[in-house]
Amino acid sequence: MTTGSLDLLLVDDGAALRGYDCRDVVRVEEVAGELGGYLVRLGRLGSPREVACREILGSVALSARGIRPVPEVLRERIPGEKPWAVGLTEREIYLLY
Amino acid sequence: MESTSGISPLDEARGELLREASIESEASGREKAQEESGSARSLLVFFLGSEGFAVDLAYVRKVLRPSRIARVSGAAPEVLGLMNCQGEVLCVLDLRRILSPGKETAPPAAPDGKFIIVVQHGGKEAGFLVDAVRDVAELPASSVHPVLDSIDPSRARLFEGTVASGGRFVGLLSPSACLNP
Repeated sequence: MTTGSLDLLLVDDGAALRGYDCRDVVRVEEVAGELGGYLVRLGRLGSPREVACREILGSVALSARGIRPVPEVLRERIPGEKPWAVGLTEREIYLLY
Repeated sequence: MESTSGISPLDEARGELLREASIESEASGREKAQEESGSARSLLVFFLGSEGFAVDLAYVRKVLRPSRIARVSGAAPEVLGLMNCQGEVLCVLDLRRILSPGKETAPPAAPDGKFIIVVQHGGKEAGFLVDAVRDVAELPASSVHPVLDSIDPSRARLFEGTVASGGRFVGLLSPSACLNP
């Protein structure tokens, strides 16, 4: 992480883009089989968890300006794991987990 | 029994009666609204298909054409996604799904050619995707009638009342109810 920015691992979960703090990533594994995809193992910064995704888009540096709070209306409508922020760039919007 | 437009024959009959009444009232509506400026309400009238709705302009921040809406995985079906609204993150909701929660299996609405009405209430804000925006109606507060009995109670909670506009009944949305799941 550089000053004023956050290094993110950007993934496509098949429906939307998601960003994960690179510092939290333990390992990325390719999933064999018909469906394929990747398994991202997280937990360096907190409790261990795994996230399945279709594609790994790579790492991006998101400036502090691009980190926005999750709109309350959206937060209330996500029943599972809640994102902690929204990443906003000129080209993309994605949730940060 | 409801027609395909969602308006029952009873509503249509009531609408016909109101249409006659509203011709006169609309003709003098602006004058009356001015006379009762303390209680006048400005309502933004819009459409989902052929069904008309209104929302109090006091809660409307802006009306936009949809730009690219980023999908969100794992969210409720009415969430269309997030939009970059002049540098702000806007959550866009499908008002049709909010008003018809039983139709959750329908594919999400395509935003092309539509409008987003950005509504703010109680510290919450969202954009509601609608098909068309008609106009702003200036009406005295007394012209807001109770929600029609024929509307399903689960749907009725989403409305503040009913108003006559353009010779037809339109449901006046409750911003609070529409913003809160």
